Amino acid sequence: MGETIFVDLTAWLRGLMGGLGVPDLYNEIILMVVKMTAVILFVALNAIWLVYMERKLCAYIQSRVGPRHHGPLGLLQPIFDVVKLMTKEIILSKNVDLVVFLLAPILIVVPPIVAYGLLPFGKGMVAIDMNIGLFFLVAVTSLSTIIFWMAGWASNNKYSLLGGMRVVAQMVSYELPLVLAMLGVVMITGTMNLSGIVEAQNGIWFIFTQPIAFLVFFIAGIAETNRPPFDLVEGESEIISGPYTEYGGMGFAMFYGLAEFANLLVISSMCVVLFLGGWLAPFGWDFIPSWVWFFLKLYLVIFLFMWVRWTYPRIRVDQLMTFGWKVLVPLTLANIFITGTGIYIYRAIGW
Amino acid sequence: MFGQGLLKGLGITWKRMLGKKQTVNYPYAKIEMFPRYHGRFLLDVDKCISCGLCANACPNKVIQLEKQKVGTKQYLTKYVMRIEYCLFCGMCVEACNKDALKFSSTIDMNQYRRSWVRLTLVDRPAPKVEEIPAEAPAKPAKAEAPAKAAKAEAAAAKAPDKEG
Repeated sequence: MGETIFVDLTAWLRGLMGGLGVPDLYNEIILMVVKMTAVILFVALNAIWLVYMERKLCAYIQSRVGPRHHGPLGLLQPIFDVVKLMTKEIILSKNVDLVVFLLAPILIVVPPIVAYGLLPFGKGMVAIDMNIGLFFLVAVTSLSTIIFWMAGWASNNKYSLLGGMRVVAQMVSYELPLVLAMLGVVMITGTMNLSGIVEAQNGIWFIFTQPIAFLVFFIAGIAETNRPPFDLVEGESEIISGPYTEYGGMGFAMFYGLAEFANLLVISSMCVVLFLGGWLAPFGWDFIPSWVWFFLKLYLVIFLFMWVRWTYPRIRVDQLMTFGWKVLVPLTLANIFITGTGIYIYRAIGW
Repeated sequence: MFGQGLLKGLGITWKRMLGKKQTVNYPYAKIEMFPRYHGRFLLDVDKCISCGLCANACPNKVIQLEKQKVGTKQYLTKYVMRIEYCLFCGMCVEACNKDALKFSSTIDMNQYRRSWVRLTLVDRPAPKVEEIPAEAPAKPAKAEAPAKAAKAEAAAAKAPDKEG
């Protein structure tokens, strides 16, 4: 019953509008708007929850208790934060590039939301089922590099500029191992359709057949979301807050809260879809709906990301670059080589 | 094994996460301070002989006391500590011969205004000389002291520890 609830809802809405005499084209447009609104809501609500979860988890790891004053168990803390940030003044410092400066915090949330439109939440639950989904996802998520750079450049501040440069260097360097790690999966499945990749994991999840690719993907994913131990972009002790330095109030919230956690969601979801079997139920436990499984796995991966974040210290810039280019890229190339050889050997055996 | 340290670190944070929490729910619950903690000052007015040793011992001239001669005895009328300059060295407490000045374990002396920080431990008028019988000059002062002291204490403790 729970399995097809969202699919049924879509079908019902489509049927309702068809019955009301809405032309097919408008029907599709309205449905797409509804779907994208749902995706935006999903991302925004999760970001709010993740702010709380991050603070609570950080506190527990540091032997503290974390927010507990506002609401039961401090659950209203992110709401209070948002209200406080929204009431704050938007400060425009002298000589900022006004249009770019104000546009950057708005654009920063676009790539993760667009990416989320492609991700399969459950069986048949995908807003846009694209046959080059993975490729499009990579293309879109790498766009956030230029938006960080926009913020860094427009702020007219040396720390922002340095931060922006670091973003570009880091994200471009770690894009490569990220994509190469995906390549192993794509080689096995022979498709870039995300639903197809999930279906291909029906027998065995790719975390078991591609463990190195998963590890590299995980590490590069942390670097892509600019989270510790790769948070050189906003290294507080070095460059105040990187590209966000000149932002205050809601602009800062868009960068720091919404964009960071939306990116985290996208990377975690990609981890789940590519390596953890997406919405497939483990051990054949399909009495739990597929979208619940997706959600559980998503939060498991997010927990891993947060655990790693609050365990390791920040690494240096040269260490970051060395690690990216001299360890991760060769590792993924070797993985591709081994995977390719393996595929041919299995074919020769006749599996 | 390569990466052993990383796994060890993760293990430590995992243990910490599930382990005992070191903090208390601060504004509502407070930890017990050590007996020799240098907190808010307490002055036992009955014991104080207004000798002024504490004021002399103070390196920052924090303590300002006013006294008046009533009969044959010194009578403490005002004892103000300019806590904003106090460095809680404890010289005054050490200097006190009568154990009148002591530290308490109250830590929150923060105020909204700088002018409210000043700590008034005693502020009372001296009893009139004619009220005091000549043969026992100290007695009425002593009898009066607890009530006055309580009043002064209430005035001094206007804000911090009661509001909490």
